[in-house]
Amino acid sequence: MTAVVAGVDIGSTTAKCVVLGEDSRILGKSLSVVGVDIVKDAERALEAALADAHLSRPEVSFITGTGYGRYKVYFGQLVVTEISCHARGANFLFPGTRLVVDIGGQDTKAIRIDDKGEVVDFAMNDKCAAGTGRFLDVCANALGYDVGEIGPLSLQARRAVKVTSTCTVFAESEVTSYVSRGKDPKDILAGLHASIANRTLSLMQRVGVEPEVTFTGGVSQNEGMVHALHRRLGVPVNVSPLSQYLGALGAALHGRERLSGGAA
Amino acid sequence: MSDVVSAPAVSGGVSRSFLRDARGLQRKLVEEYYGAFASVDQPRRPVAYMLVGGNLTEILRSFGYDVVFPEIVALNCAIKHQSLENILHAESLGYGLDVCGYVKNDLGLQDLGGKTSFGQIPRPDLLVCSFSGCYVYVKWWEALAESYGAPLFMFDVPYMREETPRQEDIAYLVSQLWELVHLLEKRTGRAFDMNELKRVLAESRRAEDGWVEFLRAGRLRPSPIEAYFESIFYMFPINVLRGTPGAADFYDVVNEEVRARVRDGNYPLPEEKFRVLVEGVPPYTNYRTFWDFFRKWGAVSVVATYPKVGGLFDRGFRHDPSRPFESIAEYSLGAYVNQSWPLRRKIIADYVKEYQADAVIIHGIKSCRSFTAGQGDLRDWLIHDQGVPTLYIESDHQDPRYFAPAQIKNRMDAFFESLEQRRAVAAAAGAAPG
Repeated sequence: MTAVVAGVDIGSTTAKCVVLGEDSRILGKSLSVVGVDIVKDAERALEAALADAHLSRPEVSFITGTGYGRYKVYFGQLVVTEISCHARGANFLFPGTRLVVDIGGQDTKAIRIDDKGEVVDFAMNDKCAAGTGRFLDVCANALGYDVGEIGPLSLQARRAVKVTSTCTVFAESEVTSYVSRGKDPKDILAGLHASIANRTLSLMQRVGVEPEVTFTGGVSQNEGMVHALHRRLGVPVNVSPLSQYLGALGAALHGRERLSGGAA
Repeated sequence: MSDVVSAPAVSGGVSRSFLRDARGLQRKLVEEYYGAFASVDQPRRPVAYMLVGGNLTEILRSFGYDVVFPEIVALNCAIKHQSLENILHAESLGYGLDVCGYVKNDLGLQDLGGKTSFGQIPRPDLLVCSFSGCYVYVKWWEALAESYGAPLFMFDVPYMREETPRQEDIAYLVSQLWELVHLLEKRTGRAFDMNELKRVLAESRRAEDGWVEFLRAGRLRPSPIEAYFESIFYMFPINVLRGTPGAADFYDVVNEEVRARVRDGNYPLPEEKFRVLVEGVPPYTNYRTFWDFFRKWGAVSVVATYPKVGGLFDRGFRHDPSRPFESIAEYSLGAYVNQSWPLRRKIIADYVKEYQADAVIIHGIKSCRSFTAGQGDLRDWLIHDQGVPTLYIESDHQDPRYFAPAQIKNRMDAFFESLEQRRAVAAAAGAAPG
């Protein structure tokens, strides 16, 4: 039997899939926007990753679902929360990780892990999307930028403004107010990133800040956010082009463990 | 093997065969209690409103009062999905979003005429504020007093910072109890009857013995009881009917049922995978959903702090007919909600050991800062100082708008997942040679 395994991470904004080979090498991956039909989104994510890996469905021995849509990964054999998966994925990529910061579309999580990638403690934002990817989307929109542009722009700021609001809706009003007062959008963006870093730090402190810190989730691809977190924490932050896939990667690793008879 | 034992752990709702005679009797007692207020066959007895924490039921009962607990009325409304209408009505009267859900449910219900699906809530003839540790409660009782034009007796209970009550505090409370007795004599025209109080206290004591026997069954492995979700039902007699023979008899039925469960192997779940301690007020509006989040993981609450809000009887306290006023004072001082955080921590740490709990789940409620404030520190203390895996989740006990099932489930899934994983890793390490 070829021990190819896959992990499908259905988040609030994007679906990610990672196909892992026998030697735990990533054979293929996919990233797509989640719509209203999560079941189909999950299937498409898997098909796209399989196409990337030049594999067909029967060649995959085990599939694990994770993320908010994990129960809609009907074709999978195992369901694991994204908290355990990000922990495992971060440990795989950066074995020295003790704290994982995952900022996704609507969630921010701080996950303290041990040397095996097991969750020791975690904290999440509650009932509010402030400080998440959605927060950045709304603010980028208010400034007329695409969310992909704002990280690099924030790094060009000369004097970051103070964004005091902890509410996504009110932050948008605050951004509009700064714009009307003629503030440089780059300074506003730097302020927004610093505001998220402050909010995230509070979550991280709840579980205990301990290096190494690994940044995962979609927002980890925003270099302005990486910079803001690094600055606020005072310690380097691990980040990789694969950071957004760590949930899916962790799911695949959990699947492999289950397949080999361990407890996933 | 019974049906329950072979039933899948993840099936929804509460297993009916797990909750048998005792649950049926509890329902009957609730119906009789509320039904009596609407009865036209009997002359109406005077009604006193009181708070659960440190309540003075026995004294009121000895004067022939019926006691109504608006907190319990409110939780009955919430569990029957009737609280939101009352809360929204209270908000339309001007009570803010952050005001306690118990308070808003009650004031909204009263203003709407006091009619519930389980009975008509009678108007009070007397208001006894038996727990002064919560400023919002004091204001609640003042609002009721003004609304009904009923007299208000404020019972001032000093906060407990030491395990053993101080003699001067007991004396202070006893002096207030005599004030209450004089007020009751004046209002009822009856002379205080010490023998009647002693008789009521003896009934209370008998109920307390039975209640404790039930709670301590959680020490067994597997536990034949659900110390949080099931105990919630059985709190009604110990809090509302305490001092009546019916309350004491009820626990005889409960304990007989628990013994039968052990004999028949009829447990809350087919497999007790995790033994948990639960701290905090339950989300009554989504009680079954919340319970299912535990059941799914094979988690049984073997001990809980919330069922002790009406008295820490399992820590040794009993009402004592030979020391009537002193023991009532000690009871009021020793209410769980009247304990300082260091004392609450000690109780919880003791419970973890005594009941061999694998983990602690804390459910904080937005409504109540007096109960919930400090639970974040408790979580950190349990994890870092005691090495006990602990999860903190938050919603509300009354207001369904604050219960986010997906978020709560996600946190609970991740928590139990990590417990399961750690257990597997430890087992593998134990099995490894050398």
